Amino acid sequence: MSQVIDDDPRIIEFDVRTDEMLVNMGPQHPSTHGVLRLVLRTDGEIVSEIEPHIGYLHRCAEKIGENISARQFIPYTDRMDYLAGMNMNLGWSLAVEKLMRLQVTEKARHLRVLISEMGRIASHLVGMGAYGLDLGTFSPFLYAFREREKILDLFEEACGARLTYSYITVGGLTADLPPGWLERCEAFLEQFEPIIREYHALLTTNAIFVKRTAGIGVLSPDMAINYGCSGPVLRGSGVDQDMRRDGEPIYTAMYDGYAFEVAVMKDGHYPRDHAYPAVPADAVLGDCWHRFFVRMLEVVQSMDLVRQAIDQYSACKGPLGEPVKVAEKIPAGDVYLETECPKGQMGFYLIGNGSAIPWRVRARSSSFSNLSVLAELCHGCLIADVPAIVGSLDIVMGEIDR
Amino acid sequence: MSSSVAQLLPVLAAAEGGLNWHGFFFLLFALLACCLAVAVVLADNVVRMAFYLVLSLGATAGLFFLAGAEFVGAMQLMIYVGGTLVLLIFGVMLTAQEPFVSIKTPVRDKVLAGLVGGALLAVLIQAALSGPAWSGSAAEGGGGVALAAGQPSATPLGMALVGIRVDGDVASGEKSPEDGQVRSGYLLPFEIVSVHLLVVLVGAAYLARSKRRKSSGGQGADLSTGGMR
Amino acid sequence: MAEYLIQTVGLPGWLTWSLLAVLSAVLILNLMAGGALVFIWAERKVSARIQDRLGPTRTGGSFGWLQSLADGIKLLAKEDLMPEGADGMLFRVAPYVSFCASFAAFIGLPFAFDMVGLRLNVGVFYVVAVLGLEVFGVILAGYASASKWSLFGAMREAAQVVSYEVPLGMCIVVPVMLAGTMDLVTIAEKQAGWFTNWYLFHDPFTFVVFWVYVTCAVASVNRAPFDLAEAESELVAGFHTEYSGLRWSFFFMAEYSSMFLVSGLAAVLFLGGWNGPVPIATLLGLSDGTGESTGAIVRLLGLANLLGKATLGVLIMMWIRWTLPRLRIDQVMTTCLKYCTPIAAVMFAGAMTWLWVFPGGVLNLDDGSRRPGEIREGWLEGPGGRSTAVSDAPVDDAPALAEIAEVSK
Repeated sequence: MSQVIDDDPRIIEFDVRTDEMLVNMGPQHPSTHGVLRLVLRTDGEIVSEIEPHIGYLHRCAEKIGENISARQFIPYTDRMDYLAGMNMNLGWSLAVEKLMRLQVTEKARHLRVLISEMGRIASHLVGMGAYGLDLGTFSPFLYAFREREKILDLFEEACGARLTYSYITVGGLTADLPPGWLERCEAFLEQFEPIIREYHALLTTNAIFVKRTAGIGVLSPDMAINYGCSGPVLRGSGVDQDMRRDGEPIYTAMYDGYAFEVAVMKDGHYPRDHAYPAVPADAVLGDCWHRFFVRMLEVVQSMDLVRQAIDQYSACKGPLGEPVKVAEKIPAGDVYLETECPKGQMGFYLIGNGSAIPWRVRARSSSFSNLSVLAELCHGCLIADVPAIVGSLDIVMGEIDR
Repeated sequence: MSSSVAQLLPVLAAAEGGLNWHGFFFLLFALLACCLAVAVVLADNVVRMAFYLVLSLGATAGLFFLAGAEFVGAMQLMIYVGGTLVLLIFGVMLTAQEPFVSIKTPVRDKVLAGLVGGALLAVLIQAALSGPAWSGSAAEGGGGVALAAGQPSATPLGMALVGIRVDGDVASGEKSPEDGQVRSGYLLPFEIVSVHLLVVLVGAAYLARSKRRKSSGGQGADLSTGGMR
Repeated sequence: MAEYLIQTVGLPGWLTWSLLAVLSAVLILNLMAGGALVFIWAERKVSARIQDRLGPTRTGGSFGWLQSLADGIKLLAKEDLMPEGADGMLFRVAPYVSFCASFAAFIGLPFAFDMVGLRLNVGVFYVVAVLGLEVFGVILAGYASASKWSLFGAMREAAQVVSYEVPLGMCIVVPVMLAGTMDLVTIAEKQAGWFTNWYLFHDPFTFVVFWVYVTCAVASVNRAPFDLAEAESELVAGFHTEYSGLRWSFFFMAEYSSMFLVSGLAAVLFLGGWNGPVPIATLLGLSDGTGESTGAIVRLLGLANLLGKATLGVLIMMWIRWTLPRLRIDQVMTTCLKYCTPIAAVMFAGAMTWLWVFPGGVLNLDDGSRRPGEIREGWLEGPGGRSTAVSDAPVDDAPALAEIAEVSK
């Protein structure tokens, strides 16, 4: 036997004998963000290969969409990215409106910006807190949820729900804001602003956090584009793309009159980075730290947008406008629209055939594309880096499996 | 036979009219050490072997503590038990081809080992029983364990190992008759033993090395099933 | 106490010693179990307060102080599971190995003058040696669980604890060197008086060594940010993934008592042991500061002092745990090998030199009777007076001192 091995030309190394091991991380693993199952091929602590297995949360949302009217599908979009239901509502509504050539009122437009940017803050807070959890620190998670609760309180006041809102809908919104809501929202922003500094102190600039994230899971801009990554994952690699600015007119028109700068590193600088912590020396563009930092910057950006939206909305006179009827017929034709959801570009595709029920519904999930790059990122990393990388992608299984 | 056992065990025979705890614990630890040592031999799983070995060595440490030699006892715990720990890890990591490897010994080897071990045991028993403390103890009727102050201890030897002769040589400036030098303890032999140990370690590491294939990809279980069939 | 029982009460000697042994064992066991209850409750409350929560509020009244007991009852009632492929004997025995190691280590820790399970002339060495055995239970648990996550946890723990024992030992040698003895009682006694006599403030080197000790102690008892063996975001629950019920709680008791133990050891070695920052007892005339002539009140004061310091240490570990993210295994090893060990070694050499240059220390005004390089009394002397009558042999050899200390470690 040994003779055979000795003669084998493929054998070049003499080393301590090791065995590789297959490890199932998930679907019931604490840090796989729901029911993701990762199969790791490990040699000791080093991961040589990783393969995500998905489908544990598949609920046939798209097929259901082909059996109910377009407006009835709104609650199902809530349950895709259940951490950013408002943004998912908006994406579907805009897609249907594009097919129906519908124009919402000016007041509804500003209210949509206001609500969806609040939703973005809430989603990024979860992403940030859960990322801390992935790295083994529990407290930032609860600090993030504390603030998110306040956003959910505001949402509850506006639409009655805390998680699955169905607030933004085809043709407008289901209701106008209750009295005093804007003041409470402003008060929230006021008290939330200094707390971001705490998050930076606990995570972004924490030495251990930087050690765990800087230079880990580096995603090159080319690879990010090739895999179809989007959202903070794409911008964390330095690709300057944001659907709110670069998307289709029906979506970008929503942000007409709003001033915001896409959170992406250009020439080694983030916009407004003077007010926020400096990029650590070890961080490489496209690593976990940058993906995290882009989200933190987008929270500030969204706060800014919310403030602008509050001003614009309160300047609007007149009615909010009524949403379409539940069984409103949609014209024949097909339409595809991508919006900038907190996790990335969420695309909805639907074909109408003149009846109220769409003939075909498809969703293009940003988390799905972002997750697909995982195998590339995790090649040769340590086991402890796997949660760090998965967490930095900020995936939501409800959106991937639909 | 029974009389010799009684001779060996003046232990539970009441020294002060009550139970002799020193004797009791001596017996307990000695019995534990011996039984667990036998268990090491009989176990067929490398981790269990290591576990029994640790317990056996721990019981030996207990004997040292009982004899008032705390330093040696703690040393025993630190070095032997700690060393076994490392042995265990290396045993699992380097020798085990699969989890729960079991080692089966052929009967022929068992007989051979029994003969060698038995012979060694006989020699040891003979040597031990011929010692003055043992032969005299039964007659004096005292406890089995000497604890009297002023008893010779291992301390001077230990100090000599690190280069200090505390038995008065240095202080009195007594010269060695051979070369006229002040005796400086046993530092050199101590260091030689250390280097020897290092050589053994390096050798063990060399033996544990094996050949690895150039590329490990494309072999082994399939990731798409997660190793489940 | 033994003499009192024998001579005044007239109990036979063997019964007296047995009683005293059982008494010490029961006290320590209760300290461990009770301490674990209190600390688990404290951990819940501390973490809750850090995280803007309330923690337990209802169980047992206003502060939820019975929460740990309720948890304990729940754990008792839980089904005791064992994985199918597990090595049954080792799986069952592993928690007790950890627990016993922790328990045995407490025997050597003094709580106040003469309040020690067993006064050993090599107390420090004994405590460190026994505490190192706790990892053995963890490794057995990880191996016997037949779970890959458990095995990862066990291997991490083994690598980590074995590595951190090196700098930890070096840190511990420094106070041993200053005191000239490995007897914990004597080490604490020598720091009597004002807090400036504490070895923490003995010289700059010991001050640094203390913080290295803190780092290594946190690592060696597996607390965040070094809690890799049970890293829940990576290894599910690490070595105790497959444990439930009472066995699982034994691991926790071992963990909390180890935390308490290393804190207590820090208190004895660096923070004056049972001597408070201000020598109240001496100032009030209750004690002459030597320990020998202390009364019961002073000893209770000392006990409160030591428990207070150790509890403070545990609370600081909790504070760290709920604040910092977890390091990665390679970073943990780097911290040990590239930072802790060299720093400890340099500080050890520094403290040695300092002792050579200022034999009496700087802040603690010694009587100055020591000569440089002298092997001081206590080196070779046991508490029971088992002196080998060699303590006065002067050796004009500084490296020899270092070597003694090194080997003693």
